Amino acid sequence: MAPSAIAAAGTGSEAASTDYGDALALRERRFAAALLAPAFLALLATTTFPLMFLIWTSAFRMDLAMPFTNGFVGFENYRVLLSDERFWSSLLVSLVYTGSTVALQVVIGLALALLVMDMKRGQGWFRLIAILPVVLSPAVVGMIWRTFMLAPEFGIVDFLSINAGLGSQNWLGDPVLAMVSVIAIHTWQWTPFAFMVLLASLASLPEDIYEAARLDRASAWQRFRRITLPLLRPAIVMVVIMRTMVALTAFAAIFTVTAGGPGTATEILNLYAYRKSFTELSIGYGAALAVALLIVTIIISGILFALRRAK
Amino acid sequence: MSGRGQVSFRDIVKMHGEFAALRGVSFDIKPGEFFALLGPSGSGKSTTLRSLAGLDAPTAGRVFIDDKDVTFTDARDRDIAMVFQSYALYPHMTVAENIAFPLEMAKLPKAKIGPAVQDAARKVKIEHLLDRKPGQLSGGQQQRCALARAIVRKARLFLLDEPLSNLDAKLRLETRAELKKLQRSLGVTAVYVTHDQEEAMTLADRMAVFMAGEIQQVGTPADVFARPNSIDIAGFIGNPPMNLIPAHYADGDVLIAGHRLKTTAAIPGEREVIVGLRPGSLHIAADGLKARVDLIEDLGDTAVLDLDCDGTSIRMRVGDHDVPREGDTICVTARPQDIHLFDPATRKRL
Ligand SMILES: Nc1ncnc2c1ncn2[C@@H]1O[C@H](COP(=O)(O)OP(=O)(O)O)[C@@H](O)[C@H]1O
Ligand SMILES: [Mg+2]
Repeated sequence: MAPSAIAAAGTGSEAASTDYGDALALRERRFAAALLAPAFLALLATTTFPLMFLIWTSAFRMDLAMPFTNGFVGFENYRVLLSDERFWSSLLVSLVYTGSTVALQVVIGLALALLVMDMKRGQGWFRLIAILPVVLSPAVVGMIWRTFMLAPEFGIVDFLSINAGLGSQNWLGDPVLAMVSVIAIHTWQWTPFAFMVLLASLASLPEDIYEAARLDRASAWQRFRRITLPLLRPAIVMVVIMRTMVALTAFAAIFTVTAGGPGTATEILNLYAYRKSFTELSIGYGAALAVALLIVTIIISGILFALRRAK
Repeated sequence: MSGRGQVSFRDIVKMHGEFAALRGVSFDIKPGEFFALLGPSGSGKSTTLRSLAGLDAPTAGRVFIDDKDVTFTDARDRDIAMVFQSYALYPHMTVAENIAFPLEMAKLPKAKIGPAVQDAARKVKIEHLLDRKPGQLSGGQQQRCALARAIVRKARLFLLDEPLSNLDAKLRLETRAELKKLQRSLGVTAVYVTHDQEEAMTLADRMAVFMAGEIQQVGTPADVFARPNSIDIAGFIGNPPMNLIPAHYADGDVLIAGHRLKTTAAIPGEREVIVGLRPGSLHIAADGLKARVDLIEDLGDTAVLDLDCDGTSIRMRVGDHDVPREGDTICVTARPQDIHLFDPATRKRL
């Protein structure tokens, strides 16, 4: 309202053109709304409704193993959750898993992108090969790693480890090595995504400013620190946000490789919620865990988006 | 600052695959000189400048700065400042940060950077824009920012690649004058690339005229204008450029469309020549060459006439008081000393 009032106070022709513009904008908005409505309804039906149902479920005790105890319990599930050690440990595993995979993807992806940018030929081939892991299903990736890469004696990684003098390791049986393994697998599969996004962003940077920087006597490192990194910042933040969302809710690869084991060493929060719901059949408590994961995800993405806006 | 910024190019060749962008370019620039590289688009001016800056290595030949061979020295170590045609400002930095960047790279203490940035910004009149990002500046302001960044560090050579070509006509004229004053006051050697002969003529102490990857002539603008040493330069310099008319030469006279014109040439015998006549050196005379006025381009204080002399078209510049009408027939001639002769085979001046 305020802008149109100001416009009306201006000269006649200005006011007229603004009114016309307003009318156009209004018509465009209506048209856009009409176009969006079906998608919006579909989105409502597929996300909001299940979400409401999930939250509703989390307020019940719903144990398929002990159906006689079922009933509305309000916040009881959440009270239990806060003192559930396995919840806190799975949350910690989730954070470690997410933090390290995202950091590794960005660092390795950026290094690869910088390397490939300087390649005179073979860029196309490199891109083609690099993208392969991304198109594989995470479950297939998990199977490949469990059998071809990490199997004792025969797996490629174990074979290399033996030849490097480190001896055969129980890659998926040792708690620390299992965590390292699932982090490596996720990084292996998704670094190409970061690589592709950062490469595209790098390729779009103007070349002349690097020449200007050379004449301004900036070293290669200074050019990277002072020019490349700040200009890539939006792309990097975007990759971090997208990959964080995915890593927090990762499932298939870990499920097929370790199923959260040994013990609960690689049991991320998502996996714990799944196990609680569908292995131990505590649907209500599982729903509460899922809601907790949702809250964690929202908080972290909120922080990341705030970082994106900052400066 | 004299004695710094002497440049020598020796037989520089630059190949792009099979294509020779530069085919043996040699010239010398004296310290403190304003030197222009003039030529049509694609003639190799930018390539020459980039070889001098160290951004591209030449395929063959040697570059000397202050008597030191810098052919294979990296751009970083040549102590050269440059204004790019695209300005090449750092888009994520403010104007102040852009100007400060070369000083920071030179590890100047912070306390000295601030005043130096202010000083450079004042010289190009952008003190009030220091907090803006390049994206928030007009073309002319960006150009000034690029200029400030180049002069803030006292480099021994100051290179400019068509710095005014993205400005509108009025701003271009203003900035041109300021540029010249700035170079004088800094006393720095400047190498200036342009395809605009007017810019080169007004700014340069000396200039090199490029054609198809070669330098055709080096000299002061007045020299080049007065004595173009090839048909190509004659057809490039001047606005409008020289009329180039095939003619027959016999013992000091030339025959154009049946009309005899005296020249100052002392070559005996007969031969075919190309006669060069500046549009401005033609004048109306009763005993001159008969020509019909085809078209008049009125430029206000002067007018350019397109004349038809028995099938040969000639352009002539006249003052506003003696403009004929289209369709009139007039008689034109030129003084002997204003007639240039070129060899049609070698295309060189006779
Ligand atoms: N990287 C390149 N690859 C191939 N040809 C090039 C390259 N750079 C410049 N050229 C060619 O070299 C010639 C001279 O270019 P340049 O020096 O930029 O001309 P200008 O006099 O307009 O500044 C042009 O014909 C151009 O097409
Ligand atoms: Mg150029």
